[in-house]
Amino acid sequence: MSYRDVFGEVLADHHESPRYYGALPLASKVEHGFNPLCGDKIDIYIQVEDGVLVRCQFEGEGCSICMASASILAERIQGMDRLAVLTLIDAFREKMAGATVVKGLPSEDSQEDDLVALYGVKRFPVRIKCALLAWTTLKKAISEGDTP
Amino acid sequence: MNVDLIRKDFPILESSVVYLDSAATSQRPKVVVDAVSNYYLTMNANVHRGVYQWSSAATDAFEGTRALVAEFLGAASTEEVIFTKGTTESINLVAQTFGEMHVQAGDVIAVTRMEHHANFIPWQQLALRKNARFEIIELTDDLRLDPKEIERVLSLKPKIVALTLMSNVTGVRNDIAAISKAFHAVGSHVVLDAAQGLIHEEIKISDLGEIDFLALSAHKLLGPTGVGVLWGRKRLLESMPPYQFGGQMIQEVGDYESSWNGLPHKFEAGTPDIAGVIGFGAALSYLKKVGRNAIAKYEAQITEVVLQEIAKISGVTLIGPKSLEDRGPVFSFSVASIHAHDLATYFDLNQIAVRAGHHCAQPLMKKVGATSTCRASFSFYNTLEEARLFLAVLSQANAFFARKGKEPHRRRSHVVS
Repeated sequence: MSYRDVFGEVLADHHESPRYYGALPLASKVEHGFNPLCGDKIDIYIQVEDGVLVRCQFEGEGCSICMASASILAERIQGMDRLAVLTLIDAFREKMAGATVVKGLPSEDSQEDDLVALYGVKRFPVRIKCALLAWTTLKKAISEGDTP
Repeated sequence: MNVDLIRKDFPILESSVVYLDSAATSQRPKVVVDAVSNYYLTMNANVHRGVYQWSSAATDAFEGTRALVAEFLGAASTEEVIFTKGTTESINLVAQTFGEMHVQAGDVIAVTRMEHHANFIPWQQLALRKNARFEIIELTDDLRLDPKEIERVLSLKPKIVALTLMSNVTGVRNDIAAISKAFHAVGSHVVLDAAQGLIHEEIKISDLGEIDFLALSAHKLLGPTGVGVLWGRKRLLESMPPYQFGGQMIQEVGDYESSWNGLPHKFEAGTPDIAGVIGFGAALSYLKKVGRNAIAKYEAQITEVVLQEIAKISGVTLIGPKSLEDRGPVFSFSVASIHAHDLATYFDLNQIAVRAGHHCAQPLMKKVGATSTCRASFSFYNTLEEARLFLAVLSQANAFFARKGKEPHRRRSHVVS
């Protein structure tokens, strides 16, 4: 049995060749995420201009699910509106918590969308927290400093 | 010891799962589950209170376990055996009563780097509360206690030394008799975390030199979860204030003051886990029947095979001692090309239950230089075939992930602009 049999081609690819990996010198903020249960660590670098997430990169140490999830997230959100990213993060968390259909997310059979590969992590309930670390860390990074 | 016959006593082992996480919690033989349900089905009543038959039967069964624990440990008296929720509560009890009254500002409290968080944090926090000095006895490269470090900390004459009988990460067994005698000679009190170790060999308090307190958990000794024991020397227990207040622990309650029950009840406030304690009694009787000398002999065979074979798999690093001496059947390891959690999932998909993480021993993991490792821990109900299957799957996983020839944390940045 190979890694690809277990986690699938998409996660394997993102794990082996993570997108937007590495520190971002121009970052307007760095947010650190840590999972004390398993020791996964992530640093998320963001550059926000006029409410737009111009650039987002990450660095970290963790299991394949944690790192692949960060890569899939990073690939998806470059240049997105900050509020739209927050909506996406909440939708993804809802999906991983067990919701079958979530507005704004691709459906389970959208084969073209890398995000769908992460839905498969629900088969391993104790690993869901690995898939969520990058997302919750990014949420923290872009939520704080909100002015009403 | 006939492992095939023994496995028949554990209904859960009929499953196809290979259970290699006994250092986290042991499995229970059916006699333990039966004893728990027998209490609920035939004598369910509170203990030490009612004058009716059920309460009397429940009290007899409950106190019967106390006698079995005293025999199991070789305690001088049942008054020295206090039931708690587990090892963690036992150690916190000592830290918050004995530690609180015995440690002053500037005193030294010592632990070792191989402690489980349960025998580390209570002392670290006591030191902070008391403005005492917290000292850590460091380890050698193969993760055993460093004799030079023991000498160093001995010279500091600590008030309290807290250490483990056996590491839950590396399986290292400490020479408690020698260490506790040396510390007693400089006036220290010795607290032993015996959560690991007691199931692997016949050990009595008299084999442990001059320890003052010992903590254990029933669920690592074939018993139910939620039950543990604190053993302590009677004169020390008598000198200590109560840990919690409430029912059972009192002698007389006045409007403005109260007096305390005698040992061991002074430390057992509230209704205990009666069913759990009764189940623990059945576990100790079962363990006695199997015999821990036989268990030690049998497990040594498993340990030998695993140590021998794991050394042959290149890319797999065993954390801790590679030799058979003074260690139990607990093996932590890492594989160069794969994260511990991915490896554990790989084992799980092959129906093998292993642990991955920091094993509640972050100070030790700091020394190892890893945030998480995998751990396979064996017990006397595991077979040699299971050990060989574990080794085969480990070898497979390693071969597959090594083929990719990638370090786990060295990543190409694949930035698309």
